[in-house]
Amino acid sequence: MTEPGFFSQEWAVAVGEALAAGPTEGVRTDKLPMYWDFFDKVRAGYASSWALGCRDLPAGIAATPAYLHVEWGGGTVTGCRIAGMDEQQKATYVFGMDYADWRALHDGYDAQRTVMYRKILVEEGNVLEFFKGIYFFTECLGIIGRVPADFAALAVH
Amino acid sequence: MTERKSPTAVLSEGPRALSDEQVREIEEADLKGVLGVDIDDVIEYVHKDLKSLPDFTTLYRRYLKQRWDVYDLDFTQDKIDWAERMTEAERQSFLAIASGFHHGERQVEIELPVFMIGASEEEKLHIAAQIEDEARHTVFFDRFYREVVGLQGDDIMDILDASFPWVAETFVGPFGLLAYQADEVRKNPYDERARVRYGTTYFLWIEGVLALSVMKVTLSYARWRGFLPAYYTGFTATCRDESRHVQGGMKYLQDAVRKDPSMVNEIHETLRTILTLAGVASREVVYEPLGWTQEEVKLLFNQQLRRKLNDVGIRLTPDLEAMVGSVQPVLAGG
Repeated sequence: MTEPGFFSQEWAVAVGEALAAGPTEGVRTDKLPMYWDFFDKVRAGYASSWALGCRDLPAGIAATPAYLHVEWGGGTVTGCRIAGMDEQQKATYVFGMDYADWRALHDGYDAQRTVMYRKILVEEGNVLEFFKGIYFFTECLGIIGRVPADFAALAVH
Repeated sequence: MTERKSPTAVLSEGPRALSDEQVREIEEADLKGVLGVDIDDVIEYVHKDLKSLPDFTTLYRRYLKQRWDVYDLDFTQDKIDWAERMTEAERQSFLAIASGFHHGERQVEIELPVFMIGASEEEKLHIAAQIEDEARHTVFFDRFYREVVGLQGDDIMDILDASFPWVAETFVGPFGLLAYQADEVRKNPYDERARVRYGTTYFLWIEGVLALSVMKVTLSYARWRGFLPAYYTGFTATCRDESRHVQGGMKYLQDAVRKDPSMVNEIHETLRTILTLAGVASREVVYEPLGWTQEEVKLLFNQQLRRKLNDVGIRLTPDLEAMVGSVQPVLAGG
């Protein structure tokens, strides 16, 4: 089965489905119930949107920078698509990340250090408000990283 | 060396005055002499000047007298203690706590330089010294993990990666926030509100509360059991360095609020985010092998936070007061 290309609309749809499904049972068993209670509480009330950018996407797929635009509401994902520069301005939080770091996340680099080592940064949005949901965000970033994506096809372009 | 108390004895002691002799012993001890200094006295020493904070030049002069050479430490006995005298439960408990510090020291080292840009010239001296302190503390943990724990790697990041499995998922709360606040300061280095928010996370929470609490847990264990002499020496010297950092950081926050009383809102907003995150734990850490219970560690956190706020004169709003009660220990520092 062919994997959808990284930052393609097909990949964005798969990311939306994975985020809506949430962390797998395997992931949940590794941490305390208290941690997941917090995650579930944040998710239930989350009404913000993310524009997750790739600053240096190789040419041929989308205009650079391109954004994975994720919208939340009612405890689930209400929209997930690839968007251009103009649409990112509508997001509550705009993030910047390099292609190499997206690929590292996909190859198993953990979401916590991706944030802590500034591989992904908030470019627009209120940092203090964003961090009230940081455990929710890092778990979601981990989910996004685990969605299959074809980086090789992108490299050909 | 004074009488060895149980690790948690200090919880019921409350604030106490140090004698002139005790202060002199802490301030003037060389690295060898630090082994004889009681960690409880050093933590008390951190608070000694909080009500009348020393200026930045005084702190810089203290740094010049107190700096120590991390390569003078000899970890030979620590390696024996670790492998032959400590139980597996003690080792695992120790790593669960110390690893947050291993990473915390690296984080506070690299996030501090941007704060220097908007500082006064005297404060720049103090911050430059603090950056060197944090770099030395990073090397201290790198040596401990290589030479005592036995982790292997070609460079500092290899060893950080190797100890990362012991770091809790909640570490990203305070340290991710610091990284992003440092980025805000990088973009607007003279934005005093951004600097106060950054200072609240770095100096008040990470150094004033998390670091001193975690230092106390592992150091009182080492002193109580008579184990890990080089760790005790280097980390107690680190704690003495932290006293300058906490005092400098509290002076910065106190001055900022005195100049503009509305700055207390930035402190409160930052604490609101921090305390939201601090009410959550992702892993269960067993403290008992080191002589502590989770409730005692929570009490220690609470005491450390209260003392900083009281001494610097920052009052909490009722909602923040309620949040303080639900804080879970975060096993990290810097």
